[in-house]
Amino acid sequence: MRLTPDELNARKRRNLFIALGLVAFIILVFLTTVLRLQQNQADARAALEGPGVIEAEPAAR
Amino acid sequence: MTDAQTRPVLSTAQPEDYFQLLKPRVMSLVVFTAATGLVVAPGAVNPLVAAIAVLCIAVGAGAAGALNMALEGETDALMRRTRGRPVAAGRVRKNEAMAFGVILSLFSVMLLGMNANWLAAGLLALTIVYYAGFYTLLLKRRTPQNIVIGGAAGAFPRDRLGGGDGPGAVAGVAAVRHHLPVDAAAQLGPGALFGRRLRQGRHSDDAGGARRPVHPPADPDLSLVFVPVAIAPAVVGLGGPVYLAVSVLGGLGFLGLALRLYRSRAGDEPDKVEAVGREAALYDVRAQAKPARDLFAFSILYLMALFAALLVEALSGMGA
Repeated sequence: MRLTPDELNARKRRNLFIALGLVAFIILVFLTTVLRLQQNQADARAALEGPGVIEAEPAAR
Repeated sequence: MTDAQTRPVLSTAQPEDYFQLLKPRVMSLVVFTAATGLVVAPGAVNPLVAAIAVLCIAVGAGAAGALNMALEGETDALMRRTRGRPVAAGRVRKNEAMAFGVILSLFSVMLLGMNANWLAAGLLALTIVYYAGFYTLLLKRRTPQNIVIGGAAGAFPRDRLGGGDGPGAVAGVAAVRHHLPVDAAAQLGPGALFGRRLRQGRHSDDAGGARRPVHPPADPDLSLVFVPVAIAPAVVGLGGPVYLAVSVLGGLGFLGLALRLYRSRAGDEPDKVEAVGREAALYDVRAQAKPARDLFAFSILYLMALFAALLVEALSGMGA
């Protein structure tokens, strides 16, 4: 099977854009993961520090 | 010579053809309305989260467009307005367009779920299924009310922009409450309705084969419903003075164009047009299609203006 120059050129360009799309998707997933981690960390810190400080004070005295 | 012999062994589709499958003009409107929803929604949303959410919604909408083109390739090839589309023109094969749409749908829904929340992702998935499945496969082929019911697809995906639980989710719900009436009204409005329907009907007649149920001639009652609904956000305190001015002035213009369309004979079935002979009737409809096109164009402009007014008020602190 011999491919024409047009077919080869089109395939090359499609592959390039698929690669770019995949890289963009990987970056988006990475950014989403980082944002989620930050948000979850902040939530966890607030849950630990918020009511805990108020309750801990009388016990420390 | 058979189709298999003439067709190249490997696809010669270019990336631009795949981009056209996403219906970029529709995507741009989706991006604008979704971004407005974000800005206006109460509560702070991380800008990066918001940007990724808007991207997911845009890609999801594009994926629905790709599925629509894949499913309608044969019919699109018969209509002048759509025969240049990648699948209809044979530049992209139906299966390739279908695979492209499915993959983008999965990626956009998954990423939106991870990024914002799964309610938003579920609604995006519902929108895609509604548009590509329910509207394209069922409604469009069976009922003249297809674009009335199908227009709701345009109102689904854009405003679920609150992220996560708590305030984020509240923001999402508030965004829905704020924008759905406007968006739905604009999508269901007779401008999009009759403009698109009449144009499609006209081209269907031109093609002489891609017949679809065509909505009856313009009914001004729907315009009378649409305009108050578009103004309603200002009345209930959602929009401020800028929104009120834009919605009222735009509404008057809209009513005027709807009346002009009603008085024209666009959309009349050829056999009901007074002209003699089918060809003459078609030409008559064609000549009268300008009011339909104008109303269609104005409906898009009106939608943009309504959202722009909300955006301006939110950014300037004038909003409710």
